[in-house]
Amino acid sequence: MKRDHNHLQPNPDPSSSLCGGSSTGKARLWEEEAAQQDCGMDELLAVLGYKVKTSDMAEVAQKLEQLEEVMCNVQDDGISHLASETVHYNPSDLSTYLESMLSELVPPAFDPFGAAGTTAAAAATGTLVDSFLPPAESSTLTTLDFENNNRKQIFDEASCSDYDLKAIPGKAIYDSLSSSTHGNVKSEKRLKPTSESPPDIFPPPPPASSFGIPTDSIRPVILVDSQENGIRLVHALMACAEAVQQNNLNLAEALVKQIGFLAISQAGAMRKVATYFAEALARRIYRLYPKNPLDHSLSDVLHMHFYETCPYLKFAHFTANQAILEAFEGKERVHVIDFSMNQGMQWPALMQALALRPGGPPAFRLTGIGPPSHDNSDHLQEVGWKLAQLAETIHVEFEYRGFVANSLADLDASMLDLRPSEVEAVAVNSVFELHKLLARPGAIDKVFSVVKQMKPEIVTVVEQEANHNGPVFLDRFTESLHYYSTLFDSLEGSVSSQDKVMSEVYLGKQICNVVACEGADRTERHESLTQWRNRLDSAGFSPVHLGSNAFKQAGMLLALFAGGDGYGVEENNGCLMLGWHNRPLITTSAWKPANDTTASASATSTVTH
Amino acid sequence: MARSNEVNLNECKMVVPLNTWVLISNFKLAYNLLRRPDGTFNRHLAEFLDRKVPANATPVDGVFSFDVLIDRGTSLLTRIYRPVTAEEPLPDVAELEKPVTAEVVPVIIFFHGGSFAHSSANSAIYDTLCRRLVGLCKAVVVSVNYRRAPENRYPCAYDDGWTALKWVNSRPWLQSRKDSKVHIYLAGDSSGGNIVHHVALRAIESGIDVLGNILLNPMFGGEERTESEHNLDGKYFVTLRDRDWYWRAYLPEGEDRDHHACNPFGPNGRSVEGIKFPKSLVVVAGLDLIQDWQLAYVEGLKKAGQEVKLLYMEQATIGFYLLPNNNHFHAVMDEISRFVGSDC
Repeated sequence: MKRDHNHLQPNPDPSSSLCGGSSTGKARLWEEEAAQQDCGMDELLAVLGYKVKTSDMAEVAQKLEQLEEVMCNVQDDGISHLASETVHYNPSDLSTYLESMLSELVPPAFDPFGAAGTTAAAAATGTLVDSFLPPAESSTLTTLDFENNNRKQIFDEASCSDYDLKAIPGKAIYDSLSSSTHGNVKSEKRLKPTSESPPDIFPPPPPASSFGIPTDSIRPVILVDSQENGIRLVHALMACAEAVQQNNLNLAEALVKQIGFLAISQAGAMRKVATYFAEALARRIYRLYPKNPLDHSLSDVLHMHFYETCPYLKFAHFTANQAILEAFEGKERVHVIDFSMNQGMQWPALMQALALRPGGPPAFRLTGIGPPSHDNSDHLQEVGWKLAQLAETIHVEFEYRGFVANSLADLDASMLDLRPSEVEAVAVNSVFELHKLLARPGAIDKVFSVVKQMKPEIVTVVEQEANHNGPVFLDRFTESLHYYSTLFDSLEGSVSSQDKVMSEVYLGKQICNVVACEGADRTERHESLTQWRNRLDSAGFSPVHLGSNAFKQAGMLLALFAGGDGYGVEENNGCLMLGWHNRPLITTSAWKPANDTTASASATSTVTH
Repeated sequence: MARSNEVNLNECKMVVPLNTWVLISNFKLAYNLLRRPDGTFNRHLAEFLDRKVPANATPVDGVFSFDVLIDRGTSLLTRIYRPVTAEEPLPDVAELEKPVTAEVVPVIIFFHGGSFAHSSANSAIYDTLCRRLVGLCKAVVVSVNYRRAPENRYPCAYDDGWTALKWVNSRPWLQSRKDSKVHIYLAGDSSGGNIVHHVALRAIESGIDVLGNILLNPMFGGEERTESEHNLDGKYFVTLRDRDWYWRAYLPEGEDRDHHACNPFGPNGRSVEGIKFPKSLVVVAGLDLIQDWQLAYVEGLKKAGQEVKLLYMEQATIGFYLLPNNNHFHAVMDEISRFVGSDC
């Protein structure tokens, strides 16, 4: 076949100088290639989601060729192993990704323990304990055969209920258990509450952090309701918010009343969302600020209903646990510090997974941190007892301590009785807590620095995927209107109407906070992944990637939910996002202190040479 | 075996820029992992590996986008891309579906490629392509997130395309001022090109006006093995084996490649003679192994007396239109712009 190269533009050698093109066509082309050579990354591939340095292009091409060759020579099982057994990480970073694929195939790693001269990373990229969703053939867990020699028998033997591992633990664990046990649950430490700031009506927004977090200007929007009334309602809400922004309170008042009428005629999710936003606007206009913080027992109940109704919390717990499990691989003693203890719903699943670990479970220590309860009950203590009882039945050595704190910023590493990292591996977990710290200047920095002092193997962070913390009220209003509309829409398919209502109330409180509050009271300061990445990066953390196994299992988890069709998981540079109809709503990311050479590399994909 | 592969890889690298080669080879590698010999598809890994981008109501380079759920029953999403106007440089986020203002606004319904199994409307490669089309054609682009094989076989993709066409046609805000009608074009690459043809057929049956079809490297085939399939098998990223796999995944079980979905002017095809079929622009890459089928499609249209323009890009491989780093790309974009602009 004749090959005519004249009208082709082969990629120039990066080291050669550019020649100016004569025709417009060529000039356009050279322009593009010039752009490529300006910065490190190939811009054209970057737009398509791949990060490859121009200077690495040839090397990446070589790896692709090598892989192609190897895949031709390897049998079908090799390919299927790569597809189904291997854990893939961060496909955007092509060079590293291809390298890890190569290390899977060369030498042929059919040895399940990867003993034959493979690197630690290759072993780590092999099969992991898939214990959250066992294959269909596995039996229900009844008792576990463990040696109890070194395990302190602290509790009376509680009756052993059947645990169906297929069910994500929730209500089942919290059947009324006898409270005669007490045992190894340390008494709570109560930290000095920080002084309450005087109520401030429209204080200036808190100063941007010292390193200038850029506000994320990507606005992902999905329209789920194209009805005429819906549009009019949104208009009215926006107009009212604009009036508030301009401090035209008379107009705002008139508009907010109108919204009430319009909302009645609307159906479904839109009506409810509009009602919550209208109420929040009214509170702002009339300066009737909601009491903060919430009554704890009510907040607990709402939280639990939200947990049951829709997958958001379960996804958060599940993906965070997956990262923690990977980070704890090979560790004999582990310590989880949970910034978001609530009713401790995240931990039964992790404990069960640890119990099933080949080689036996590690000793598991849990430090739960939470806000004070109003009725003087020791709720953190109770939660600890229940988990202790679970630990007993599954034969996991367990230690617990609860800390009451008004703010995470009140915490100091010295309070936590940390043990040397060679002895005990630490994981720090935060689900929907970090954003609250942005309400007080300096708080987030303090917390980041304390976390680093904990020398964690991993820090798991789950946050809402939205920017509700911009400096302009109207922007926050618009963003949150779209966000919660999408969220409410996803609840519509819920089976239990009671759960749905409770979840809506739960979310309604957040809406109220975003719209009606300011200053230290406005704690729902959600920020996007891009923003959190910048913050964590600047604070000295580097990412730990979540891989295809977590992705797949999260996807399978979602399929268990009614109305599951609209939910989807997305991978974003090592983080996992849960979305509704492709609109990301929450993000799980994992981190560890940067330059931490002692931390295990097993959770990442980089092959160390 | 390794030796002939070496030759193939080197040949391949000669005809495309290096970053294009890396991009398409990476797809090829991933796709090899996803297709299972038993005909099933590793959907989880596919979604994990696919690079996606969110919609963005904030304009970037004069284009903003938003997703719309147009059919809840099938979770059918479309991503709509609109140009910013001089009057409204910042779109009103409260009313993204604001009526178009120009006398004539082409609305391009776009069907992404992926051989019926891969990619989505929010795949980065297609989001980027759709954004280009907006600026190029001063058009609104509606990218359809149709259901994919093998989980959803024929005719799901066509059904979704048809749903999208009806939806677009019935949007008052998409009507051109000139005649209060929606000026619709259908466009697609690979399987998307195939969908274009079949949706156009349905449009005619139902009396919806489609002003033009744009088919980029459209996916067609047949039982017969053609010369180009023999000559180019495995040489430029694509193998006959994988083509067969995708047809087996899309076509109803038990059907062969002479099914009219795959071979529209073949033994089971439907003639378009005497009907008001839209004018077509068909782009064929000279290094695409299925070009004989694509050329046969063009011939079929001509024989039926339909207006069709063929753009044969001799040294182009599949996917040349994904990166603006080659002459074929610019030539084709210019043609598309002329094709759509000719109705103004």
